[in-house]
Amino acid sequence: MPQPALIELKSVSKDYTIGDETLHALANVSLSIKPGEFIAITGPSGSGKSTLANIIGGLDKPDSGSVEVEGADLAKAGDRQLSVYRNKHIGFVFQAFNLQPTYTALENVMLPLVLAGAGGKERKARAQECLNDVGLADRMSHRPTQLSGGQRQRVSIARALANKPSIIIADEPTGNLDSAKGREIMTLLAGLNKQGITLIIITHDMEVAKQASRVLSIHDGAVKEGRS
Amino acid sequence: MKFTDIIIQALKNLKRQKLRSALTIFAVMIGATSVTIMLALVTGAQSFFVSQFSANGTLQQIAISSQTDLAKFDQGNNGGGSCDSCVKLTDALVTKIKAVPHVIGVARRVSGGSLESVTYNGTKLRLQQVEGYDANGILTNTMLAGRDIAEADKDGVITITSDYADKWGFKGHYSDLLNKPVQMLTRNGYSGVGATIALPPQQGPDGGGGGNDPQQQPPTTLTATIVGIVDGGDRGETVRAPLAWVNGMNTQRMYQMTDADRKAQDAANRACQNNHTPCQPGQPKMTLVSQDFLTQNGYNGFTAKVDDVKNAATTTAAIKKLGVGAADAQSLIKQQLQIFNIISLVLGGIGGIALLVAAIGVVNTMVMAILERTREIGVLRACGATRATIRSLFTIEASALGFLGGAAGVAAGYGLTLVANRIINAQLGGSGLAAHNIITLPLWLIASVIGIATLIGMLAGLYPAFRASRLNPIDALRYE
Repeated sequence: MPQPALIELKSVSKDYTIGDETLHALANVSLSIKPGEFIAITGPSGSGKSTLANIIGGLDKPDSGSVEVEGADLAKAGDRQLSVYRNKHIGFVFQAFNLQPTYTALENVMLPLVLAGAGGKERKARAQECLNDVGLADRMSHRPTQLSGGQRQRVSIARALANKPSIIIADEPTGNLDSAKGREIMTLLAGLNKQGITLIIITHDMEVAKQASRVLSIHDGAVKEGRS
Repeated sequence: MKFTDIIIQALKNLKRQKLRSALTIFAVMIGATSVTIMLALVTGAQSFFVSQFSANGTLQQIAISSQTDLAKFDQGNNGGGSCDSCVKLTDALVTKIKAVPHVIGVARRVSGGSLESVTYNGTKLRLQQVEGYDANGILTNTMLAGRDIAEADKDGVITITSDYADKWGFKGHYSDLLNKPVQMLTRNGYSGVGATIALPPQQGPDGGGGGNDPQQQPPTTLTATIVGIVDGGDRGETVRAPLAWVNGMNTQRMYQMTDADRKAQDAANRACQNNHTPCQPGQPKMTLVSQDFLTQNGYNGFTAKVDDVKNAATTTAAIKKLGVGAADAQSLIKQQLQIFNIISLVLGGIGGIALLVAAIGVVNTMVMAILERTREIGVLRACGATRATIRSLFTIEASALGFLGGAAGVAAGYGLTLVANRIINAQLGGSGLAAHNIITLPLWLIASVIGIATLIGMLAGLYPAFRASRLNPIDALRYE
């Protein structure tokens, strides 16, 4: 029996208008992602990889088509529903880390828990647990400026893990790191995938894409299975 | 996101930009301080006047004037019945007023303007007017020494104001003036009680019929005994005396021929002429005639007393229906408060403008904050913040600016009122009044100033917060 899909995109299109030009970021894309998959999305810049990830992550809405996650259509969801979805089901990891510079590592990780309305003790305990999981138990009260690039990305992964998401979307997670640190981060993310979290990584680093169980490549808004 | 977390977050964000937040709060503070002082001054002055009035029972009093036009109320109150649109205040009217519900008594008032000066021990001072009133306990004075005019007092008893006592050198030992005699000099033409009216010069048999020319009457000196020294307030050149005596002073007396005597004289003259006989018609017969001021003009004013302060307004209205002018102390307090109202309008204007400018400052601060934190807003959105949460965060942050400014303004206002009270107390102390802390900061005032400042902050934050909530999270995350 085939496993039911976690994410199901049907005829998804998204256009951007820049000046007079209309850019087809996604053109009639249909794909399905099963729970626990490790997917690498590749393609040249401007090809629509980020748009695809943002639509799956509930940060953006398609112009047409449907995005079903666990039976709910994100394309029809309102701001509150999408926000709750991002908060509970998605963990974002960014190339530029996007940590709050005035917060400590612990406070940064607590952010999604605070937004979820968790109590003071609960959020602290969970944030400590997440930082422990990414190997930063001894860096909890450090501010981002006091941490190395690799450590910062670990904090950002811990933040993505805070609300025990089913999907982690990482947009070029190793883009700002040297190759050694990048490998560490990829090992960490792959480990999370082994624990059952669906992992979607946007990258143009073939070394990174190689680790994925499935590769999707995008060219001018069209998605192809496998390496291009 | 929990509301307490939103507040904590907003305060943390304010702390991040200490100087900018402090400057914005300072701007709000200036406005809040002005508004605080304005409100404190108005309420303080109001309660001061009310306490002053209630101290001597004035709140229960209704001033009744012949002048029905309230704008000219004081004119009618002092000038007797000699004005347009005036009603004569008569004893018949007193009976009617006494019949009005809640009225427990009426004191009649007459002022005499025929006196020119009052002299003690050779020191002559100007005398504006003599005030006579029923000493039935309805009109009371603040006594600084001795006693008030009593019902049993006869002609020749007066109380003087502290102004006179001070000028006669009795400051600080007013009681030494009690039972001392003073001389009050009348104006030319005075023919009231105490004046000696001479028979008009004898005239020929045909020239009879004239009488005294009142203007020819020389000034008279009236002697009086001081029984008390009162706090004169703003009417320092006043002497108070029993009603009957002042009535007597206002009476005009002169020798005149009565109509009957005139006819008899004429008949005698004619008889002499007809008889062609030497005839002596005799001297014209002169009678001393009094013209009562009251019959002609009525009383200068009445003061009615109501059983309870809360009935003052309705009773005033009921008395007005009798066709006279009437005002209770509350409306007089309103007049007294006019100067404070002007000051408060000026302060209120400054405060209003300052708060408006402060509101613009809050808008500016918040718009800046949003530009700086665009990326952070993107992260918040990615981590699950709804538009509403973002909106709340910035609205609360702006409200906090208002709240802190308002609180600082109240604190500064409090400090200024302490200083102002000291100055006012010193002034009042100098004029013999007990020291009052006129300007007060009641809790409702503190709460409403802080509330208004918070509200202004919140309103100023609405637009920036709306803008922040409308940011596209993807663009915000890419924002450099």
